[in-house]
Amino acid sequence: MTEVLKVEALTKTYGKKNEKQYQALKGIDFTVEQGEFVGIMGASGSGKTTLLNILSTLDKPTTGNVFVNHQDITQLKKNQMADFRGKEIGFIFQDFNLLENLTNRENIALPLSLQNVKAREINDKVEAIADRLGIMQILDKYPAEISGGQKQRVASARALVHNPAILYGDEPTGALDSKSATELLETMAELNKNDKVSILMVTHDPYSASYAQRILFIKDGKIGKEIRKGTKTSEEFYQDIITELGRR
Amino acid sequence: MLWKLSFTGLKSRFKDYAVLFSGLTLASAIFYMFMTIAINPQFLKGSLTIAFSITQFVFGFGIALLGIITLVYITYANSFLLSMRKKDYGTYMMLGARNSKIGKLIFAETIVVGLLSTLLGIGIGIGLTQVVSKMLISQLGLHINKFFGFYMPAILWTLIFFIVLFVLAAFWNRHKLVKTNVINLLHEDQKPVKVRQHKIWKFIEAILGLCLLATGYWAMSAYQTLMTNSITIGFFTIVIGSYLIFDSFFTSVINLLRKNRNFKYRKLHSFTLGQLKFRLGDYNRILSIISLLFALALGAITVGLNFNSMTDTSMEATYYDVVLYKNNAKVQKQLKKVSVRKTDSLNYKTVLVGKGKKQSHILYVTDQELNKKKLKYQHFYQKDGQQAWSTKTITAKGVKDNHSEENYQLASLTPYQNALVKVVSKKEFNKINAQINHVEFLLVNNFRSNFNNIEKLQKLAVKSMMSNVEESSQGVYVDLNNSKSGQYRLVSSVASGFEFMGFFLGLAFLAMLASTLMFKVLSGANSDKPRYNMLWKIGAQKNLLKASIRSEIGVLFALPAVLGVIDVLFGLQFFKSLLKDPYDKIWIPFTIFLVLYLIYYLVTVKLYEGIVLKNKD
Repeated sequence: MTEVLKVEALTKTYGKKNEKQYQALKGIDFTVEQGEFVGIMGASGSGKTTLLNILSTLDKPTTGNVFVNHQDITQLKKNQMADFRGKEIGFIFQDFNLLENLTNRENIALPLSLQNVKAREINDKVEAIADRLGIMQILDKYPAEISGGQKQRVASARALVHNPAILYGDEPTGALDSKSATELLETMAELNKNDKVSILMVTHDPYSASYAQRILFIKDGKIGKEIRKGTKTSEEFYQDIITELGRR
Repeated sequence: MLWKLSFTGLKSRFKDYAVLFSGLTLASAIFYMFMTIAINPQFLKGSLTIAFSITQFVFGFGIALLGIITLVYITYANSFLLSMRKKDYGTYMMLGARNSKIGKLIFAETIVVGLLSTLLGIGIGIGLTQVVSKMLISQLGLHINKFFGFYMPAILWTLIFFIVLFVLAAFWNRHKLVKTNVINLLHEDQKPVKVRQHKIWKFIEAILGLCLLATGYWAMSAYQTLMTNSITIGFFTIVIGSYLIFDSFFTSVINLLRKNRNFKYRKLHSFTLGQLKFRLGDYNRILSIISLLFALALGAITVGLNFNSMTDTSMEATYYDVVLYKNNAKVQKQLKKVSVRKTDSLNYKTVLVGKGKKQSHILYVTDQELNKKKLKYQHFYQKDGQQAWSTKTITAKGVKDNHSEENYQLASLTPYQNALVKVVSKKEFNKINAQINHVEFLLVNNFRSNFNNIEKLQKLAVKSMMSNVEESSQGVYVDLNNSKSGQYRLVSSVASGFEFMGFFLGLAFLAMLASTLMFKVLSGANSDKPRYNMLWKIGAQKNLLKASIRSEIGVLFALPAVLGVIDVLFGLQFFKSLLKDPYDKIWIPFTIFLVLYLIYYLVTVKLYEGIVLKNKD
C-alpha cells in the first residue's frame, strides 16, 4: 500500500520568541494509507483544528513536514498552496460552507472552474458525482431551499468532484440531526470502501468516529493512542471508543 | 464598564472607523465649502453683478440638492457604522447588558462620531474653501479682493444641519439595535437571502423600464414642443425607469450570462455573477439614486463649463474688437501692448441742427471713403429660434437710406451714436464747415488671452473721448458697456459664476455619491468575509479573489455611471435653447469626472480587500 499522507515531527508554536509562547502541537507523526478512513479524536483545545489547518496548508507548521502524495506541502509557495488545496484535497466543513447565492450545481462546480476545466466536462463531472450522492433532483436549487442533510451532501459532492487525493472532514456531522448524520457517515464509508477515497476526519463525536477504520487520539498536542477497527462491527468499535475515551 | 468595552471595541476597529470618519469629515467639509461660497454675499457680489438674484436662486437650489444627497450619504454611512457595531452590541446584550444602557451607548457613539467629524470637517472646509476659491477666482478672472474661507453663518448652518442629521441617525440606530433580537444581531450575516425571482414579472419590468427611459429621453429633446412639461415628464419617467432598469434589466442580463456555461464555469465567474445578482436585488434603490445623482453632477459640470461658450456668442455680436475715438499719448502707449491684425478708419464731420430739445447731430461721411473702406458690422437674426449673427458690409448706397440698418450701424461706430448719417461727395464734404474727426477700428489677435490689455485700451479710448465735458454736453456718448470688451466682461462674469457653481456642485455631488456607494459596498464586506474565506480554503488563489472583487465592485460602480452618462447625453438636449452647443468640448468634464470616480472605485476596492481578504497569505 502507498501512503497518501505522511506527517513527520510536526510542531506548532504560537506567540513570538520573546513573548509568552503556547505550543499547540508538540511533535506529531502518523501516516494515512491510500484508501484508508482515519478518524482523529480529541477534546476541545487538544490541537485537532490546528493540525487540520496545517494538513490543508491553511496554516504553516513551526517545524516538521507534511507529505501529500509524496510532495512536501510545507515547502509550497502561496499560489502553489492554493492550487494544492484546489487539486489535492476535498473539504467538508461542519457548517457546510456553501455559497448561498449560487445554485447547488454551481457550488459543486467551483473547484473545477478554478482549475480551468472545460464547461462540458465540468457539467459531466458534476452530474456524475451528484448521481453518486443522490442529489440530482436538487442540483438547480439554492442551498437555502434544501435541508441540512442535503446541504452536507452537496458539500461532499463539491469536496469530491475534482477527485482529490484525500478528503478532509472537519466535524462533518456537527450540524446535522442524527438521521442525516448517519446517512452522511454511511455515504462516506461507502465511498471509502467502493471508490477507495482516502478520508481523514476530525471529530469529537464517538458515533461518527466509529465509521473510521482507525482512530488517532490527540491530547495536549500529541498523539496519545491509536485504535483499529479491524474486523469489528461499528457497534463494537463504538464501545471500544467509549471505553478509550473513559480512560482519559 | 460598558463604556470602557465600547471604547476598546472602537479601538480594535480603528481602521474601519477611520474610513467612516474620513467619509463623514469629507461630507461636512464639502457642505461647509458650498455653504460659504453659496451664501457669502461678498463672493456673489464680486462674481455676479447682474444676475445676482437669479444666481442666488440657483445656488439655493444647489444647497437643497446638496442637502438631499448629504442625507442619503449619512444614511449609508450610518448603516456602515451599524453593521460594524451590531455584533459587539449583540454580545454585550447576550452577556446581560440592559437595553436602555445599550441604547444610550449607541446613541452617544453616533453623536460623538458625528460631532467630531463635523467639527474636523468644518476645519478642513475652511482651508479647502480658501484654496479652491482662490484658485477659481484667479482662473475665472473675477474681481474679488477680500475673500476668506472663514464665514460664521456657514459654520453655524453646517453645524446645525449635521447635528440634526446625526441626532436622527442616533435615534434610528438606537431603535434598530434595541428592537432587534439579540440572536439576529449576532447572526445577521447568516440570514438567508431571497434567491428566486418571478421571471415573467421581471421581464415586464425590464421592458417597462426601457420604455419609461426612452420616454424621458424623448421628453428632454422635445423641449420645444413640451416646454416646461419636458422637465416634469423627464423627471418622473427617468426616475422610475432607472429604478425598474436596476431592479430587472441588469438582473436579466446577469441571468443570461449565468445560462452561458462556457462563461459561467470559468475561474470565479459563477461566484462573481452570483454575488452581483444577489447584490443587485439589494442595491436597486441605491444604484438608481446614484445614477440620477451621477447624471445631475456630471450634467452640472458639463453645463457649467459650457456656459463659457456664452462669451463666444457675446463676441459675435460686435465686429470690431476695439474702437479708438481719439488718439492721445496714453492710448498710443497702451496700443503697443496689443497685437493688431487690421486697422480700419473713418473720417467724418458733425453738424448740430435744430434747437432746444429737438437739437441733434448730423454726421457727414463721403461716399468715396465708404465704398473704399468697406466697413463691417454684425447683422442680428434668428436661426431655429436661436440668436445668430452674420457679417455685413456698410455701403454708401445702404447708408443713404436714413432708416436702414447700415445707417444706424455706422453711427454707432462713432461717438455720435444717435446721429443721422448723411453720405455726401468729397466735394460737398470739404465744403462743410466743421472739424474732421477720425475714428479707428481695430481687429486684434488673441482677444481672449490678451483681454486685460485690450480692455484697458478700450477704456482709455473711451476716457479720452469722455474726459472732455464740453463734448459730452454736445450729445457725444460712448459707453464702455457697448464695446466688445464691455460685453465680453459682462457675459464672462455671469458665465464664470455659473461655471464655478456647476463645477463646484458637480464635484460635491460626485464626492458624496461615490462615497455613498463606497459605504454601501463596505457595509456588506463583513458579511462577505466567510464567502471569500471559503473560496480561499477550497483553493482559489488570492489574485483570483482580487480579480473577482475588482469586477464585482467594478460592475456596481459602472452600471450607474453608464446610465448616468446616457442621462446626461440626452439631458443636454434640454440646454440647447440656452447654450449654443451643449455638446461642445464635452470630453473635458467627462474626463475630469470619470477620473475622480475611478479613484473612488480604486479606494473602495482596496478597502474592501482589506476587510474580506484579511490574513489570506
